[in-house]
Amino acid sequence: MKNWKLKEIVVMSVLSVVFAVVYLAFLPVGKVLTGFFGPIGYDLIFGIWFIVSIIAAYIIRKPGAAFLSETIAATVEVLLGNAAGPMLLISGMIQGLGAESAFAMTGYRRYNLGTLMFSGMMAAVFSFVWGYFQSGYAALAGGYVLLMFVTRLVSGVILAGVAGKALSDALAKTGVLSGFALGKEKRKKHAA
Amino acid sequence: MYLNNLNPSVKALTILGLVVALALLFDPVTPALFTLCTIAVTFLFGDFRRKYYLFYLIPFTIFAIGMLWTTIAFADAPKNPAETIGLIWWEVPREDVLVALSLSFRVLAFATMSLLFIFTTNMVEFLLSLMQQLRLPPKLAYGIMAGYRFLPMLTTEFRQIRAAHRVRGMGRESRWKRYRRFAVPLLAGAIRKAERTAVAMESKGFTGTRERTFYRNIRVRKKDWLFPAGMGAIFLLLILLSLRFDYFSWYQGQL
Amino acid sequence: MNVQNLSLQYDDMDAPILQNVTFSLGEKECVLLLGASGSGKSTLSRCLTGIYPKELEGTMEGEVTFEGKPVKDAATGTMSRRVGTVFQDPETQFCMLTVEDEVAFGLENICVPSEKMEKRVETALEEVGLLHKKEAAVISLSGGEKQKLALACILAMEPPVIVLDEPTANLDPVATDEFVSLLRSLKELKNITIFVIEHDLDPWIDITDRVLMLGRNGSLFYDGPLQQGVDRYARSLYEEGIAVPGAVRVAMESGRTAPPYPLTARGLAPGLSAPLKAPPHRENGPSLMQASGISYKSIFSNVNVTISEGSFTAITGPNGSGKTTLCRLLAGIDPVSSGRITRPFPDKDWFQHAGYVFQNPEHQFLTDSVWEELAYSGAEDEKIEELLEWCGLTDRKEFHPFTLSQGEKRRLSVATMLVKNQEILFLDEPTFGQDAKSTSRLMNLLEEKHRAGTTIVMITHDMDLVDRYATRVVVMKDRKIGFTGDPDELWNEDLAAFQLKEPFRVRTNRLIKGDMYVPQ
Repeated sequence: MKNWKLKEIVVMSVLSVVFAVVYLAFLPVGKVLTGFFGPIGYDLIFGIWFIVSIIAAYIIRKPGAAFLSETIAATVEVLLGNAAGPMLLISGMIQGLGAESAFAMTGYRRYNLGTLMFSGMMAAVFSFVWGYFQSGYAALAGGYVLLMFVTRLVSGVILAGVAGKALSDALAKTGVLSGFALGKEKRKKHAA
Repeated sequence: MYLNNLNPSVKALTILGLVVALALLFDPVTPALFTLCTIAVTFLFGDFRRKYYLFYLIPFTIFAIGMLWTTIAFADAPKNPAETIGLIWWEVPREDVLVALSLSFRVLAFATMSLLFIFTTNMVEFLLSLMQQLRLPPKLAYGIMAGYRFLPMLTTEFRQIRAAHRVRGMGRESRWKRYRRFAVPLLAGAIRKAERTAVAMESKGFTGTRERTFYRNIRVRKKDWLFPAGMGAIFLLLILLSLRFDYFSWYQGQL
Repeated sequence: MNVQNLSLQYDDMDAPILQNVTFSLGEKECVLLLGASGSGKSTLSRCLTGIYPKELEGTMEGEVTFEGKPVKDAATGTMSRRVGTVFQDPETQFCMLTVEDEVAFGLENICVPSEKMEKRVETALEEVGLLHKKEAAVISLSGGEKQKLALACILAMEPPVIVLDEPTANLDPVATDEFVSLLRSLKELKNITIFVIEHDLDPWIDITDRVLMLGRNGSLFYDGPLQQGVDRYARSLYEEGIAVPGAVRVAMESGRTAPPYPLTARGLAPGLSAPLKAPPHRENGPSLMQASGISYKSIFSNVNVTISEGSFTAITGPNGSGKTTLCRLLAGIDPVSSGRITRPFPDKDWFQHAGYVFQNPEHQFLTDSVWEELAYSGAEDEKIEELLEWCGLTDRKEFHPFTLSQGEKRRLSVATMLVKNQEILFLDEPTFGQDAKSTSRLMNLLEEKHRAGTTIVMITHDMDLVDRYATRVVVMKDRKIGFTGDPDELWNEDLAAFQLKEPFRVRTNRLIKGDMYVPQ
């Protein structure tokens, strides 16, 4: 925590609070989709639930951003009354670890589209493995489980990786990120 | 009331421990009984608005019922398809029903435990306790606190933006584009405010080090240990019961 | 406290924001720094408190010293014991949920022993008159109370210097006066140096010992007593974005008074032979919109209002009296709970004919550039050029709307509402928190539209604007209509009961007649 600036922590925490609300708002969407397609309904939009990791890490670029933001978001979700309760906290931490692992593998140096997509994918992998044991996917048919897994991977890559980057870049254009790693990078590019 | 005055860290760790322990079991009866015990403890020893509790519990119950139905409907091929149970007009394998019931009651048990925590814990005291008992860095704790304060502000902002966009004649575009148009002003405003808050905190001498005193000192007292002891005892009793009546089973990545 | 040859440049700007700034603050002095928005006032305050150069993304030259020691060498966090800051935005200077925790936060940071804290928290709250709110949630306070709380947080830490960065910019005039008089009494009571950063000098005239004037180029052009400064620079203050005191403006316009200029109505009145004239033409057209017996949730019930065609209607009243709610209902943004509003256009394409400018212009921006912003509303290229020209944003058309200055943002949001030549324009406090120059630019634009026949409905706290521009005024009080009618009639009502301040013109005229004592 030493090399984090206070403003980075507050911004990360605000992002987590915003997305905790977004996450909650997408639960009923997931429920409707589940009604249509079965458990795979959630996997279609699962990437949404990784997005804060990617945005926070992409903007702040410090080790721990992906993990902490997702954990805080999960905590806020629980405090606001998510049905999964304390289990959600653990799921959040595991998703965060997944996203974080991708940035760790690149040595926290590369923050291009590829890395962000990879990060969304890793979050999907971690969360699926956890879900397999925790929510009893094993009770479902094998082919169906595989389909769920692939769906979640794609969702993580697109909804978290690609959409997360697009949203952060749109934010950077407003100039409010000038004091953060992403804003500084844009400025350097602009000057060059 | 006892639960409200309980040390928040002790409370949180106890609940987390019980959740992990429950996650290791897999039968329909233990979590069902445990859910009832948790609700009883909450009502006996907690001070909160009873009406709101029900207001929160109902969606959780609906969620659990939904889970029950989907697990049955999308179940793997059972080992003993011959044993079935009639659910109104629908014959389903007994095994599937048991799995589904176990999963659903587990969800309810988790939910009631988190409600116990949410309804009897003050957020500020929880963060203070995390700092004072569990050594959470103050920089992170106060950073989170500052962010959490934004919640009501963000709701008003969101309404404002929605109304403002309506005046501009939004609605001709795809859903994703609309989300983006919403998200950018909301997040941009929030980030700018977060930065200002951080500056204000630092100007009041906040450095984030552990060297600080506290206005509210949260301590662990002897009576705080009653909660883990009591909840642990209930849990063990339920396990003994389940062993006695032979429905006990471990969770094996079911099934 | 000493500032020596301070220059500062941000990495993302082309020109330095501060140039060679040198001044000093004496003990127990109250110094006012005047400058336009964006002239580097806040930057300077960050240098004084030691936030810069630590947090600075840019370069800083020169030196700031406190009692002879350089501020930049002070260990992190220790400067807060010497210099405390009250910021402009009441919403973003707190991090705790309750009033007492917030005051205690600063004490915790400087390691005041737990057992001594309660006493210091209570003393500080007592000094600002908030002791009765000790256990209240910060969010339940009004804007004025929040600023007092911010002051209490600083007082509790007992620093010898207090910096106030536009502390009243987001407060209404009554709350502003209250805040300033609180500071005045504290100044007499305690041994503190006060450094106020402002663009509006009027409320601070009595309490100021010395003024500094900061130009748009980032250098100080005056350091000395208020009266001389005003006498010498009265004519250029406006260009520098600093609000010229009402008395000075009138004295200059009347042309009869040479320096020294009177600074207040009290000083001005004796020199005038005739009362100041009311602005001409206050006619109202036939009824355009009519609200009869409207109610909204539990906020208010059974309100009747008529908006006349071609009128300039001002809605005013204290904070929380329901001004914004009324305006939103009239504009059709919120649906009425009961009652009826008759509008001259069908609901379906109502927003083709009516525009609404929100208090925060950023909420209304949808695109990534000024040009697209106007194009989004369906304007042709020619119309866009014309509007950009009209609101003075032609050279900004490629900019992202969020990167504009406050005044520019406001003008752009007004422009987006005029793309379809809307006949009715609603505005929610469009001049709030802006410096004198952007206020008058905006008001000129609105006045021009009004003369061309647009009906304008505007929420404002500023009675001088009401006096100058409004043809009709609606005063809200306790969620009811307290008064409707001509502004001139309003000035004869008991304004204090509505928590309003007399406009400068009316105050001066009363002094000429001598029929009323005006406390200043």
